[in-house]
Amino acid sequence: MSSTPASVAKRDRAVWPAGEPISCWQCGADRSANLFCPSCAAIQPIPEAADYFQVLGVPRRLVQDPQALQQRFYELHRQWHPDRYQTGPQGARSASLRNTAAVNRAYSTLRDPVERGGYWLTLQGETLGANNNRVPPELAALVFEVQEKLEDLRVARGGNGSADLRRDIAAVHAQLLERKSVLLAQLDETFARWDTDAAEPAVLKRELKATLSALAYLGTLIRDVEKELES
Amino acid sequence: MERIFGIDLGTTNSLIAYSDNGTPRVIPDPETQSPLLPSVVAFPSANQIVVGASAKPLATTQPLTTISSVKRFMGLGMEHVTAADREHYAFTDGDGIVRFRIYGRDYTPPEISSLILTELKHRAEAAFGEEVRKVVITVPAYFNDSQRQATRDAGRLAGLDVLRLVNEPTAASLAYGLDKTNQGFIAVYDFGGGTFDISILKLHEGIFEVLATNGDTRLGGDDIDRRVADLLLAAVPANLRSDPEIVSQATAAAEAAKIQLTDADSTSMELRAGSTHVVCPLTRADFETRVADIVERTLAPCRQALKDAGLSPADLDAVVLVGGSTRMPLVRRRVGEIFGRKPHTELDPEEVVALGAAVQAGVLSGGHRDMLLLDVVPLSLGVETMGGVMERIIERNTTIPTTVKQVFTTFVDNQTAVDFHVLQGERELANDNRSLARFKLRGIAPQLAGLPRIEVTFMIDANGILNVTARDERTGREQSIDVKPSYGLDDEQIERMLEESIDHAEEDVSARLLIEARNDGAALLRATRKALAGGAVTAAERAAIDAAIARLEGAMRDTDYNRIRDLTDELNQATTPLAERIMDESIKQALEQKRVEDIA
Repeated sequence: MSSTPASVAKRDRAVWPAGEPISCWQCGADRSANLFCPSCAAIQPIPEAADYFQVLGVPRRLVQDPQALQQRFYELHRQWHPDRYQTGPQGARSASLRNTAAVNRAYSTLRDPVERGGYWLTLQGETLGANNNRVPPELAALVFEVQEKLEDLRVARGGNGSADLRRDIAAVHAQLLERKSVLLAQLDETFARWDTDAAEPAVLKRELKATLSALAYLGTLIRDVEKELES
Repeated sequence: MERIFGIDLGTTNSLIAYSDNGTPRVIPDPETQSPLLPSVVAFPSANQIVVGASAKPLATTQPLTTISSVKRFMGLGMEHVTAADREHYAFTDGDGIVRFRIYGRDYTPPEISSLILTELKHRAEAAFGEEVRKVVITVPAYFNDSQRQATRDAGRLAGLDVLRLVNEPTAASLAYGLDKTNQGFIAVYDFGGGTFDISILKLHEGIFEVLATNGDTRLGGDDIDRRVADLLLAAVPANLRSDPEIVSQATAAAEAAKIQLTDADSTSMELRAGSTHVVCPLTRADFETRVADIVERTLAPCRQALKDAGLSPADLDAVVLVGGSTRMPLVRRRVGEIFGRKPHTELDPEEVVALGAAVQAGVLSGGHRDMLLLDVVPLSLGVETMGGVMERIIERNTTIPTTVKQVFTTFVDNQTAVDFHVLQGERELANDNRSLARFKLRGIAPQLAGLPRIEVTFMIDANGILNVTARDERTGREQSIDVKPSYGLDDEQIERMLEESIDHAEEDVSARLLIEARNDGAALLRATRKALAGGAVTAAERAAIDAAIARLEGAMRDTDYNRIRDLTDELNQATTPLAERIMDESIKQALEQKRVEDIA
């Protein structure tokens, strides 16, 4: 009984390129791109090739509404979660596991703007690449200051003036967070331009890569500083 | 459809519950009426097993053959056993999984736990008059893969079909979420007998989404009891201080004092060790000072979980307390302080997890269609790489189920097998993390080094348990894979244990009947001796009674419980005239007193 969900999902978008007919694991009927068999209503596995936008059934673009993403995430779990198929046949259980794992991975990537941007680049056949460790030029001054303060603190640890240094580092930490929010705003702006006007994809791609690299670098730096502040 | 039960397999107590048309209810013990089954398994002799309330007193008289708090050892290896553990239990030394040594036989923690589960199974079967098979069992949220596997193995060994392992704090939130239209962020602080968990959840239209979890699977009320017991033991002669019997008595006295100090401002503990009689007064203030650091150890995980969830205390809408240790006023105070609000304690902290397990059982059987639980993996998972570093492949607090694929290849020409070592934990070096298992990909076709491409899929299912599968990327064929769990049982071992337990099943029932018969016989012997000391009997009566006593005592040394029952009845009959006379005597006395009063 529990192989039949409360409502058979009607997917409004073509999820993946139509190819050969796909048959239902349970009744053998052609189920095409439906994720519940139109004939027997059994849950069907998402194809390996589906990208994260397809998995969640959201428009393929860089700007995403976090509320809408979360709504989709919950909706799909209500339909597909293993709890719903626990007492059902093996085919339904494995499709449910596979689909929810895909939903979780897609959601955790798309809800985070930095991850989403990076994923977008991989879909374009690009990667952030190895120049990740190079200090982004616009951060150079800040990075130098942070490294110096951290080094001072390590040397002074427990000794005179370490309280002052901690205060300095806390101030630097605040600066780093501020910088991060500026970069995130910049990222949003690049996303919006890409979605509306992809006239110069090469320029935008370069811009996207630079912002993401800076954010990645900043992320590591913030983690280091926080570790030092906690210890 | 078949009923699914919810089980809280706790460190100190275990419970079983069911969903009664959507309302979760615990099933009490028919004799004691308490829903709590003490998680104690005792072996009074080589082929006797007692579980629960009747096993608990044996912890102080036969400490080395009585296993309490077995949950602390689930999924652990011998190298994790501490010196303090050795004061309480006898182990078999060796590699791999922990083994308790009892009357020359080894018992693993899953086997001991399965005896507790079997007792709960029988309780539910007696209540419903039907076989109990399908269950949901709760585990601490911070349990790693080995500890989860061990719990599932315990279920299998008890003849149960474990449909789902649910995290304890998440289960508790389900029970709390039932009667309220809760929305927003909640923190569940679960401090039990042996484990501590903190989970941060987001509740939204019936979805219980865990954002972050943290904890310590070896921190609980047990640690508090041992700390307080040290006070008593310090006053005991040095040569008796590590005597298991005395340590157990001190721990029991400490636990009783802790419970009293929940309401009372002061209490007193007593301990007899040899000729020494220790009396130790304890005020609540003194108690709190002594255990403060243990309670403080729960706070760092709370801060980390909040941080991982991206929240600050002010963002929380509610804090819920779970577990017996949260009855301590000190804990309530500190939790209130760190989260900046008064925690919820409406539901019994010792029943709420079992109730939640029953709710989840209801979800799995198709009820509560509006409720859904989305949990996370508590610890990062990775593989050991060159140089003994752990490469993370699944980050902690990832929503489950989750899948990650990795491609493995060969390093030398014609290599036909590839090994990898799976770890769990947050540290950089492989050695600092917990080893879960070693995998071997076998039967790779001989090729040049680096040519084979074996795609390995790491899947963490809704139980938080890792499943590993592999296939040859080029041919798409399943790749065979051998698993050697680091601190667990493999399928073969479980099969063997199951076979043995079927052999022993009849023996187990007999053991229980024997213990009951012996207890009844001993009680009658005590009462008879007391009566003989006071009442007058004729020589003939005395001879008959003495003979009956001798026969009963002889039978009690043997294991035929039917004979013990018969001889108990015989002694009962032989003492009936005596008992009647004592009764008459006391009535006469009562009447005489009356007469004196009348005169006065």
